[in-house]
Amino acid sequence: MAESSLKQSFDTFRAAEDIDASALLAGAVGVVFLLTALTSFVLRLGLEVPAIVGFVVVLGYGWYAHQGLTAKAVTFLMTVSTVLILGMITVFLVLESLHAFRLMGVNMLVGMDEPVTVFGVTVLPGLGNFWQPSSATYSLVPAMWGTFVTTLIATAVAAPLGVACALFLAEIAPNWAREIVKPGIEILAGIPSIVYGFIGFTVLNTYVFQNFQTPSQGSFFLVGGVIGVMALPTVVSVAEDSLDTVPDSMKDGALALGSTDWQTMTSITLPAAFSGVSAAVLLGVGRAIGETMAATVILGNTVGLPQPLYDVFGNNVTLTTLIASQYGDAGETQLSALFAAGVVLFVTVLFLSLTSLRIEAKLKQELSGD
Amino acid sequence: MSETTSKAQTQADAQTGQQSGGTTVEGETQEELREEWVQYEFDGQPAISTRDVNVHYGDDHALHDISIDIPKNSVTALIGPSGCGKSTFLRCLNRMNDRIKAADVSGEVEFNGKNIYDKGTNLVELRKRIGQVFQSPNPFPKSIRKNISYGPRKHGDIDVSLLSRLLGRDDSDEEDELVERCLRQAALWDEVKDRLDDNALGLSGGQQQRLCIARALATDPEVLLMDEPASALDPIATSRIEDLISDLAEDYTVVIVTHSMQQAARISDQTAVFLTGGYLVEYDDTDKIFENPESQRVEDYITGKFG
Amino acid sequence: MSDAYDRNLVESESSTYQRLAASIVGVGILAFAFALAALFDLTAIDATFVGLSLSNLLGVGTTLVGLGVVGLGAVSYVGYVETTPDRSAGLVPAVLFGLLWFCVAGLVVSQTFGFGALVWLPAALLVGAGAAGVAIFPREDIGSTLPAGAFALLVGLVFLTNVIGPDWAWSPTDFSATFTPKIVVPFLTVLAVLVASWAAGKAYDDFGARGRQTGAYMLIALNALGILSVLVILVAFVVSKGIGPLFEGFSVGASGIDWPFVQNGNQLTNDVNGVFPAIVGTFWLVVGSVIMAVPLAVGAAVFLTEYAEEGRFTQVVELATNGLWSTPSIVFGLFGYAFLVPRLGNSTSLLSGIFVLGFMLIPLVLITSREAINAVPDEYRDASAALGVSQWQTIKSVVVPAAMPGVITGVILGVGRIAGETAPILLVMSGSPFPSKRQAPNVLDISFSFTSSFPFVDASLISQEALLNSASALPYQLYAIITAGVGQSEAFGWGTTLVLLLVVLSFYAVGIASRAYFRNKLRS
Ligand SMILES: Nc1ncnc2c1ncn2[C@@H]1O[C@H](COP(=O)(O)OP(=O)(O)O)[C@@H](O)[C@H]1O
Ligand SMILES: [Mg+2]
Repeated sequence: MAESSLKQSFDTFRAAEDIDASALLAGAVGVVFLLTALTSFVLRLGLEVPAIVGFVVVLGYGWYAHQGLTAKAVTFLMTVSTVLILGMITVFLVLESLHAFRLMGVNMLVGMDEPVTVFGVTVLPGLGNFWQPSSATYSLVPAMWGTFVTTLIATAVAAPLGVACALFLAEIAPNWAREIVKPGIEILAGIPSIVYGFIGFTVLNTYVFQNFQTPSQGSFFLVGGVIGVMALPTVVSVAEDSLDTVPDSMKDGALALGSTDWQTMTSITLPAAFSGVSAAVLLGVGRAIGETMAATVILGNTVGLPQPLYDVFGNNVTLTTLIASQYGDAGETQLSALFAAGVVLFVTVLFLSLTSLRIEAKLKQELSGD
Repeated sequence: MSETTSKAQTQADAQTGQQSGGTTVEGETQEELREEWVQYEFDGQPAISTRDVNVHYGDDHALHDISIDIPKNSVTALIGPSGCGKSTFLRCLNRMNDRIKAADVSGEVEFNGKNIYDKGTNLVELRKRIGQVFQSPNPFPKSIRKNISYGPRKHGDIDVSLLSRLLGRDDSDEEDELVERCLRQAALWDEVKDRLDDNALGLSGGQQQRLCIARALATDPEVLLMDEPASALDPIATSRIEDLISDLAEDYTVVIVTHSMQQAARISDQTAVFLTGGYLVEYDDTDKIFENPESQRVEDYITGKFG
Repeated sequence: MSDAYDRNLVESESSTYQRLAASIVGVGILAFAFALAALFDLTAIDATFVGLSLSNLLGVGTTLVGLGVVGLGAVSYVGYVETTPDRSAGLVPAVLFGLLWFCVAGLVVSQTFGFGALVWLPAALLVGAGAAGVAIFPREDIGSTLPAGAFALLVGLVFLTNVIGPDWAWSPTDFSATFTPKIVVPFLTVLAVLVASWAAGKAYDDFGARGRQTGAYMLIALNALGILSVLVILVAFVVSKGIGPLFEGFSVGASGIDWPFVQNGNQLTNDVNGVFPAIVGTFWLVVGSVIMAVPLAVGAAVFLTEYAEEGRFTQVVELATNGLWSTPSIVFGLFGYAFLVPRLGNSTSLLSGIFVLGFMLIPLVLITSREAINAVPDEYRDASAALGVSQWQTIKSVVVPAAMPGVITGVILGVGRIAGETAPILLVMSGSPFPSKRQAPNVLDISFSFTSSFPFVDASLISQEALLNSASALPYQLYAIITAGVGQSEAFGWGTTLVLLLVVLSFYAVGIASRAYFRNKLRS
């Protein structure tokens, strides 16, 4: 698919500019140099420097002799390289995780420490242990559960409060307030997660430890709350943007019929902006799932499931914190298992982002009346 | 597309501005505004009367001392070159100007004996009784049925909420009746009766505008304000809407802004002529205005000498 | 024209009823404030005011609020004041009240009276259904006030009778936490006040559509205020904690500014340790990734908007950009750790960090640049093309300059985002947790000399060694402090936090301001 589209775009490219033999030759040589550099880097052949020098020379010639064509070719190569980077990350993640997946099979994703039986039938296999590098046992179940619980808590905080706040800013707040608060919130969206982590670690962990008398410092409850607050500004700002795009004429129509502002908001504005608002929420969820540092420093990162499962004061591990807390002294197999965690994360977040794109496209279509 | 139209309009605005501005500068040809030209005697009660309404958009004085009485159950047309403040005046009558941050309205607008600009006016109640149809159709991105029943549902006159349906005390029958009645009134029923649950945005422009009229009728207003309701429509759709307006005058008070003098002549009982700068120049029976206006400028405008 | 008909159109001045509703909300706000004070350690839960313990005092407040709300409903219901309630409070309040009372009854029966699920579950269901029923069947004025007021009343009585008092504690068997009065009393107070104030807000505007609006607005405005305060307090807290360490030993003398926290590294001989190496690391990291990513991203954006036709290829690119954009940073880190690090000198290095953050920066800049280039009006291109200028010349001299403000804004915002990233650099770049000043990367190494052997000159601009060695950065410095155990260097941590926050938030502030500026300019 990618290949044929590449070819197709190359063809349009050729048709557009008249390419003479020298340009074609230079282009071919340049591409060969570039591919050599890339292959050499990936396979560690040590030829990167001469290949890049060669490419630069060809580039220099092209710039001098065929500037427009070269520019087009270079920007095209740049575009390809963004695709290449994602492709490389994907391929590399998967390749690195293969070892662990081969070793553990599906148990990587469903293996429990003790087998889970329902009416005497084993539904989930027991491995004796969730995560034990010494016996090469790796199961991502605890980390996936941790990610699920913290994301759920974070979403419960960020989604309703964030959307309500966006509604307030877009529809209720007086102009002057919006003009101050909106950029303020956008700036606060930039607070780095390690800052939340530091505050969580020094202040909140102690607070929760003292006042909830948890057995140890750190809990999903706190992490979820912190991540939720962290995602709030993003949700608010994106949701506000989309509420802002609902045309005034539509709202005027509702108001002129004698509906209150609140009725107009809930029955016209919010539904009309539903795609953008849900994209905002999904964005927040994506952030929460991928959030690493705050969770890593707040949690205890012991690999295991809370007992009982819904004990939100459990102090275990999430997919991201599993990676961050174990990569340093991981052997080959363990590292591969961490890559498997990376793959699960990657796929989940990619899926979310595609879903939000879909929703947006679909609702845009509906709004335009097709 | 719409951009070019608005550009053309701006240009037209600029031209008329220059012409009338020119007369002002010369001074001699500048015609005085006369009180008696805007005094309009009629039998019966006024539905709305305005007293010295002035509107400013920031420093821009858009309307000057507009005082008119609008008779009940009739069609009143507001005409004048674009930019003269017709829409602004119309929005004063149901306080939709409140939505425009820059707009500052002073003066009195009396409706049912109360000044609607008094403190404590219930805007919801006001707009329920004074409906409005906008220049470009603005249906909600909902089904045709829901578009029509929107007003009554929000006012609690019709309850088809999930709760009432669960309790079996919903007004679905009333809703159906209302939808049919309003769509028939707006001459849209035959075209959409088989697809009441389709999204209203799928209708054509003319159908959408008639839907908006039907939607306004559904709240059973006393007064219906229409701002160039046919400006975006083709001739067939336009003539349908004109017929509709003439019919409406039996039960409603209609105030219609139009840039088409033929249209005003065809459908209105009385006509108010605004001229550039936001002045009401003459207000009288439509026949009188079109056949024998008092003001020279109005005559020039009507005979197409400018505007 | 009936009298009532016209009264609907113009309302009377605020009535006693409205003043009553407002004062109930006022009492609620007072209780709310005290509850927050207890939650934030500003006052102890067993402190006494006017002879009452705080929990008792909060009990008085919520009881009053609860009674008041029930009263508001009753007064409206018997027709003592004229209101405009709907037939029913509606489905959403009914569900919420049902849930609330389900929880209340369930907790009371199971925890206070100690019954098992066979008893508490039916009891809770019954009470929950009852509350939902009250919200559904009677008129809105009763339906929305009674369940709310009764809840506040119950909470108040529980506090007043010391059923939940300063010595109370609850350790549910299924949770590894104990709920202490310091948490529970303020929490219940806040919940009761919120629910009751919503009902009072509805009553204030006579129920019906307008009442609902007032009730909802109250909650929404409070929510917005709450979010804003949390964020502002957060920043203020960091500033108050960090300003001391940041300026420790700061002096302006004849020899210039002496600012140890910014100019020093970590050394036993230092009076004041500082974050100089981390600042330098972050600086080079940002510069490097901008140099790497921005041309690539802008070039790709140019190709996509100016050359490429909509089709498969652009779709694939879009997918890839979105994928890159949403990929969690730890995944980038992992990739860098296993792919880049072995290929770039086989140790964590500044260069790996630059690459990884550059990869993260690409989609941020690409997306905004594409928007900016798309926003350049086609007339510009047409005008240029009409003069016979080639496409590339048009792009170079018309399109890109016109899009530049947008591109720059995107770059600034993107840089703000990556400057605070910790996870990737933790994996691919970090070395010594507390580097000394000497360990700051010295990337610029400008030297030029003639030598006796080919190629007879020895010129260098950039130090390979600095690029291929590990380096610190502000976010990593903060992480290192945390893992080192905060006890000894908490002040150092707050100082670092403040510096990091200042750096990142200034990027954001500048980016957002410039975006606003150029948007306004575009509009006018
Ligand atoms: N929202 C607004 N903000 C500022 N000025 C406005 C606004 N709406 C209209 N105006 C100004 O008020 C004058 C009257 O406009 P309008 O009432 O729309 O005229 P008409 O409907 O007769 O074409 C014009 O000069 C216009 O520029
Ligand atoms: Mg107009």
